[in-house]
Parts: sequence; C-alpha cells; structure tokens
Amino acid sequence: MDPLVYVLDLVVFIGIFSIVSLSLNLEFGFAGLANFGKVAFVLVGAYTYAILSQIGIPFYLCLIAGASISAIVGFLVSLPTLKLRADYLAIVFLTVGEILRLIVKSEDWIGGGVWGMTVSPAISLAGISARIDTLVNIGLVYFCLFICFLVVQLLTNSPYGRVIRAIREDEVAAEALGKDRAKYRGQMLALGSAIAGLGGGLYAQYLQFIDPYMFMPMLTFTVWIMVLLGGPANNWGALLGAGLVMLFDRGANVAKDYVTLAIDPSNLQYIMFGALIILVLLYRPQGLLRESQVKTKAMEIVRRGRDAVKNK
Amino acid sequence: MEETLLRISEVSKHFGGVYAVNGVSLDIKSGSIWGLVGPNGSGKTTLFNTVLGLFRPDEGTIYFDGRCISNLAPHEIYALGLVNAFQLPRLFPGLSVLDNMLVAARGHQGDRLLNSLFLRKSWQRQEAELADKAVEALELLQLEHLAFSQAGELSGGQRKLLEVGRGLMASPTLLLLDEPAAGVNPKLGRRIFEGIEDLRRKGLSFFIIEHRLEILFDFAHWVYVMDKGKIVVQGKPEEVVENPAFYQVYLGE
Ligand SMILES: Nc1ncnc2c1ncn2[C@@H]1O[C@H](COP(=O)(O)OP(=O)(O)OP(=O)(O)O)[C@@H](O)[C@H]1O
Ligand SMILES: [Mg+2]
Repeated sequence: MDPLVYVLDLVVFIGIFSIVSLSLNLEFGFAGLANFGKVAFVLVGAYTYAILSQIGIPFYLCLIAGASISAIVGFLVSLPTLKLRADYLAIVFLTVGEILRLIVKSEDWIGGGVWGMTVSPAISLAGISARIDTLVNIGLVYFCLFICFLVVQLLTNSPYGRVIRAIREDEVAAEALGKDRAKYRGQMLALGSAIAGLGGGLYAQYLQFIDPYMFMPMLTFTVWIMVLLGGPANNWGALLGAGLVMLFDRGANVAKDYVTLAIDPSNLQYIMFGALIILVLLYRPQGLLRESQVKTKAMEIVRRGRDAVKNK
Repeated sequence: MEETLLRISEVSKHFGGVYAVNGVSLDIKSGSIWGLVGPNGSGKTTLFNTVLGLFRPDEGTIYFDGRCISNLAPHEIYALGLVNAFQLPRLFPGLSVLDNMLVAARGHQGDRLLNSLFLRKSWQRQEAELADKAVEALELLQLEHLAFSQAGELSGGQRKLLEVGRGLMASPTLLLLDEPAAGVNPKLGRRIFEGIEDLRRKGLSFFIIEHRLEILFDFAHWVYVMDKGKIVVQGKPEEVVENPAFYQVYLGE
C-alpha cells in the first residue's frame, strides 16, 4: 500500500476520534457524567448513516440524522437515570452500549446482522485514487471536527460551562443555587451523544463498511484513555489525547503487517493501554493538560481591576 | 410597607423518632434582619433546609411571597429569590473563587444552552456587571486577592466567607444565612454584619442563624429562639435578653 495513504489514513482516524473524544470530554471532563457507553452513540450514528445512505439520501443529511438520532437516544437514556447519582449512570450506559450492539448483531434486518453492511462513499467523484479519496475524507472530517471544537470551546467558556462544572463538583449545592441538574444532565447527554453520533457517521462513511464487531466496549475504553491522558475538562487535551492514542493504535496495526513478535501487536496494545491508564491516574491524574478555567469577560475585568490597583 | 415575605405555618420535620422541627410557625417580613438562635441540635438548620426544599416538611406549609413553596424543588425556590448560605460550606472546590461567586448569580442568561452559544453579546454584558458585583462582595469579605485561587485551597474561615458571598451574588429577596460569622475572626464577623445592614437598607431581607449573639443582637430587629424543635421565645433582641425563658434554654442558667 502507498505509504502516504497510511499517513493520510492515520490523519482521518485522528480526526474522527478527536470528535468522539471531545464528546466524552464534554460529558465526563466538564459535566462529570461517566459515560461508559460512548460506543453506543458512535454505533447509532454509524448505523443511521449506513442505512440512510443506502437508500440514496445525501451524505450530509445522513450525518445530521445520525447525530440527531444519537442525541435522542442519549436523552432517552438519561431520563431513567436523572434521579440517580452520577456513579450509577456509568453502569447504565455500559449496559446500553452492549444492548445496542447485541441488537444490531442479532437483528439481520437492521444492518445485515453479523454480516455487516457496506456504505457508499460520501462523494462518488472521489473514486479516482486512494489518495484523493482519503483527502476528501480529511476535508470532511476536519470540517466537522472544527465545528464540534468551536461549539464545545464556546460552550465550556460561558456561564453555561460554569454551571455544568459546578454540577460536577457538587450536585446538591448546584441545585440549591438554582441549577436544575436534571435539565443540564439531559442536555449534556444529548449534545455529547450528538457529537459522538456525528463521529460514528464519519467512521462508517470513511470505512465504507460496518459490522457489530467494530463497536465493542474496547472502543469506549480507547476514548476514555484519550480523555484521561489528554486532560479532562480541557478541549485541547481531548485532541492531544486522541492524537497520541491513535498514533499508537494505528501504529500497532501497521506494525502487525511488518514485524513478527511473540504476541499479536494489537493484543500487546491492549496491555499497554491498561498500563498507560494506571500510570496516568497514578502520576498525572489531571492529564497532560490541566483543566482550563472558565474564560469569559468576567475574568478579564477582575484581572484588569486588580492590575489597576497594583499600579497605583 | 412591611409585607410578609416568608410564612412558616405549623411545619414539622422528623428523622425517624427525632422531631427536629416540631410545629413551627413564624413570619418573616420584608426589609429587616431576623435572627434565629437556640442550642445546638434545636432544629435551626433543619428548619432552613425544609424552607429551601432540601427536605419536604412532614406537616405544615411554607409560603414565600404569598405562594406555597412546600412542594417546589430547591432550584425553583431559589429562582423565586429565596436563597441560602449553608452552615457547612458547600463550595465547588475545583472552580476558582470568582467562578464560585458568578455561578450563584440568579437569572444569568448565559446559563441556558442556546443563549450561551447564540446570545453571547447580551450575556457578556451581564457577565461584566456580575464581575463588578463579585469584586465588591469579595472586597467586603476580604477575599478579593484570592479571586483566581481554587475554592478547594481556601482556609476554613475563608470557605465560610465565600459561602456567604455566593448567597449575596444571587441578589435574593430573602437571604437565609446559617451562622455567617462562625469560624470568622470577630472583627471580620462584625464587618460582615455591617455589610448585611448596608444591603438591608438597599431592600434585602435577612433571616440569620447565629450563635455569636453579641454581634447578632446588635443588628437583628426580631429574634426567634428555638428549643427542641419549637419556637419558645420571640421578640426584639433587647426584650429577649431580659426573658428568663431565653436564659434557661440558651445559657442554661
Ligand atoms: N439529615 C438528618 N438525618 C437525621 N437527623 C438529622 C438530620 N439533620 C439533622 N438531624 C437531627 O435533627 C436535630 C436538629 O439538627 P439541626 O442541624 O437542625 O440543629 P441546629 O439547631 O442547626 O444545631 P447547630 O446549632 O448545632 O447547628 C439534631 O438532633 C440532628 O441530629
Ligand atoms: Mg445548624
């Protein structure tokens, strides 16, 4: 295979996983909602995309539909858990991920069951060469990533971002200060799931094939490593984490074709991921990049006021 | 001119066999500072928490501004302008002191999802006003030099002060303060009450639990004395100190 395509392929994967990592970072890093079922929402986005694109709907509508349906699923799953503490949410989501995967696996009529389904490419013009194909994908993926990053960056540096962080810190105190935590939780899960669903749609679109085995719980954990490594509650950290983990992950996949080890490199990779999580949590629990403060006008005003006093 | 802001009517709250609050009725009228005193465990904090919707009353009804609030959620009660500062501070430890203050603002447009993205101009204007207000309150509480520190790094007394500051940020109609001067040095404790008095003149009303009677009685207009879940004595501070029943329950003489 063309070595440049390897690199371009890696770039696409980093982009897609950055989107999913941003979504988990929004839910877990900022809002404190431990979503251990992230893969479920990637799956919803991917299958929605695949099914709709097969009946000839344009790719951008398929992406939007994948994000929307994923948002609805995220919101619905949040409902029975609204009265629960955030810890229990983790278990509910873990279960939802597996249930959805088992459904698409055993219900052939949805997406071909275990046989999976092929997905037509977004822009058919790009069948000319693998390089151009991948370049088109890079454009599409990074455009979506840019939008997602802009949204989460604006949101988390606004009074809204301050509220969701406060709820993360102390739900009861936030409630007593007028913040309806059920409402915020529902909104965060809907938005986080929408972003993950968009990532799923792009994933299906890029690989042009999906089956239930691509949506194992391992995918959720990979995204968790990205967020924990990069730094929860830091959007740049989510990108950095996605970049590093994907470099590692795709690297192991490539290495598999060229080197012979006593152990399958992709299994070795799981072991190393496990070790990495433990090391990060032990030695750098805040991740590579620290939580960023809520940057709004208020911060500038107070800082300026303080400098003015100092200079007097 | 004085109107009843808060009416607590025959309210009881028990935990298992403990009647923490036992048939309390009282009125809080606007424009004054109201005190609530009583021995440890007499049910003062429980009464506040019940008013705030953190506990449902087992019996009785609570009205705020003429409206029954016994069945409202805490965030709804807060939205009406009835705000509290906890006895044991419940800060957001990972957020800065400034953010702890700002998050308490009532009716901030940017607290809503779509506004925060699409109405940036208008919430930024509000944010600027709130920043000034936060600085003013932090100056009163002598916390302004810590505006960018994490709340989790504050000392015990400073936490208490920040808890009070958050209550002030909400621009409440009625602010419940649970021992605002506890753990605070005497001079600052008195300054806080002077700040409270300034705000009262601007139209706020206060209902304050405080064991530091020498400060509270200089500022309160009316004092309720609670013992074993009941209001046993009430009156102007200078009357209450003359009352033998007050001496008996509170000072044990
Ligand atoms: N959540 C709870 N569960 C069980 N019992 C409680 C609870 N909260 C308070 N109590 C009990 O209710 C009684 C009143 O407690 P409360 O905190 O209202 O007292 P207080 O008047 O505020 O005292 P202090 O001056 O020491 O703060 C105490 O006997 C306490 O043990
Ligand atoms: Mg108390």
